[in-house]
Amino acid sequence: MPDTIDAPLSLGLFFDGWELFREPALAGAVAGALLGLLGVYVVLRRVVFLSAAISQAAGLGVALSFYASLHLGLAVSPLVGAAALTGLAVLPFVGAGTDGQHDRLLGVIWLVGAAGTLAVGTRIVAEVSDIQDILFGTAVAVAPDDFARLWQVALAIGVLHLWWWRGFAAASFSRDAARVRGLPVRLLDVALFATLALAVSLTTRTLGALPAFAFSVLPAAAALAVARSVPQALVLAAALGALIGFGGYLVSFRYSLPVGPAQALVGGATVVALHAPGWALRGLRRLRARLAPA
Amino acid sequence: MLPSASAAEPLLATVGLRVGYDGHSLLPAIDLRIEAGQIWALIGRNGGGKSTLLRTLLGLQARVGGRIDRRPGLRVAYVPQRGDHDLAVPGRVIDVVRGGLDRGWSFLRPRALLDHGGVDRALEATSMAGLARHRFSTLSEGQKQRVLVARALAGDPHILLLDEPTSAMDPVNEEAIFSLLHDLSHQRDLAILVASHQMSFVPRFASHVVMVDKDDGLLEIGDRVAVLSCAACRRKYGDLLPNA
Repeated sequence: MPDTIDAPLSLGLFFDGWELFREPALAGAVAGALLGLLGVYVVLRRVVFLSAAISQAAGLGVALSFYASLHLGLAVSPLVGAAALTGLAVLPFVGAGTDGQHDRLLGVIWLVGAAGTLAVGTRIVAEVSDIQDILFGTAVAVAPDDFARLWQVALAIGVLHLWWWRGFAAASFSRDAARVRGLPVRLLDVALFATLALAVSLTTRTLGALPAFAFSVLPAAAALAVARSVPQALVLAAALGALIGFGGYLVSFRYSLPVGPAQALVGGATVVALHAPGWALRGLRRLRARLAPA
Repeated sequence: MLPSASAAEPLLATVGLRVGYDGHSLLPAIDLRIEAGQIWALIGRNGGGKSTLLRTLLGLQARVGGRIDRRPGLRVAYVPQRGDHDLAVPGRVIDVVRGGLDRGWSFLRPRALLDHGGVDRALEATSMAGLARHRFSTLSEGQKQRVLVARALAGDPHILLLDEPTSAMDPVNEEAIFSLLHDLSHQRDLAILVASHQMSFVPRFASHVVMVDKDDGLLEIGDRVAVLSCAACRRKYGDLLPNA
């Protein structure tokens, strides 16, 4: 044990206790890889707050399912409620391009989800803690069943995205020309946002809202600093997401930090590290241009 | 070549086509016949209905009335305005051009792509082969437009529709793009329709013209000489209208 509370813990201790840490650490890596891959579309389609909005919509879905069970006598599974509201939340983004005109909609979904959950929560006081448990899992401890579900879904979504990436890219980044070439752009959007909603809600359920949001934005933002093509960006973002998820868990262990924030901070540091050379180069060019004789 | 096409059959024809929004027609009924090797100029001022007509012909917008007949098996390609291509999306020239190969993509056959040689031929035809590995975002406006034309050509289309291909371009690049389109049309027997608010290119490059203006209900369709000398067009544009 460390002498003081601030002393970093040895990583040797972490690997000695691997049996204990295996599921949460690997869950971070798996979720990071999955949302890193999908995050390339999230970032390039300028809907980075979608995962935050999805979490709130899922919260309202769970609250409504409890309300329906308690007050209306309807047995609705909380997961069904969450899936239904999540599906509704992503529906408006089907068919939307990359013009970044969705911020109002994201705000509306987030606010209605958050306010609705709080409002319905006053009618189901006893179940509010259950909602928190169902919705916002904890990245510190992940049950083996939850981890198994996460990697199975991640594998399925990953395979689909590798198989259909060309269609997803065309539907996302050159929509009109793709429609003229006969691609099923709307169906591709439905598939893209359905997989995104599933991945975000499952990661939120397993690890929490903050890591889910971080994984869907930061690995892609970092990868796009160096990737030269969309396939490169997808592969790199998935790899970086896995590293950020696992590395964040290590950092949280070593420095006794909460896991979710540690993963988000490692992601942020990765973004800065990969963008820094480009920023420095542009700054130098600007400086040189300013200093050059007229 | 299209398999069951007779020489007289147009690639694309409209019969009483009405374009507009919410059931409201912007222009008079349009009867149009586009044949292989023709270059059509769709001209008129900004906001005059060009883009609405172009998007309706492409099937991107529902028609208000009438009919659009496409020859069976027709391959249509579209070059949107340059600004529609998001520069934040990473990609080299060759990656952008490969995007034109996904005609026939389906969920069940996502790898059913056309001939990859089409990419090389398209790059050669647009003189962009030497820049194939360069990042698209680092190119000049004229080069970017050539790449977008190459992407459209990669799928070996029969008809190519372009929306304002020379906007934000200097006169030298503008001339080069129209020369390229002219050459492609002749070499490949390709039908081309160019929507543009500029008219200076029409006498040298277009064989046929559609002139539209929704505010005056102006619609003139025909060969270049007939449209450029029509009285209504002359009244509307005066000296701005080039001589045929």
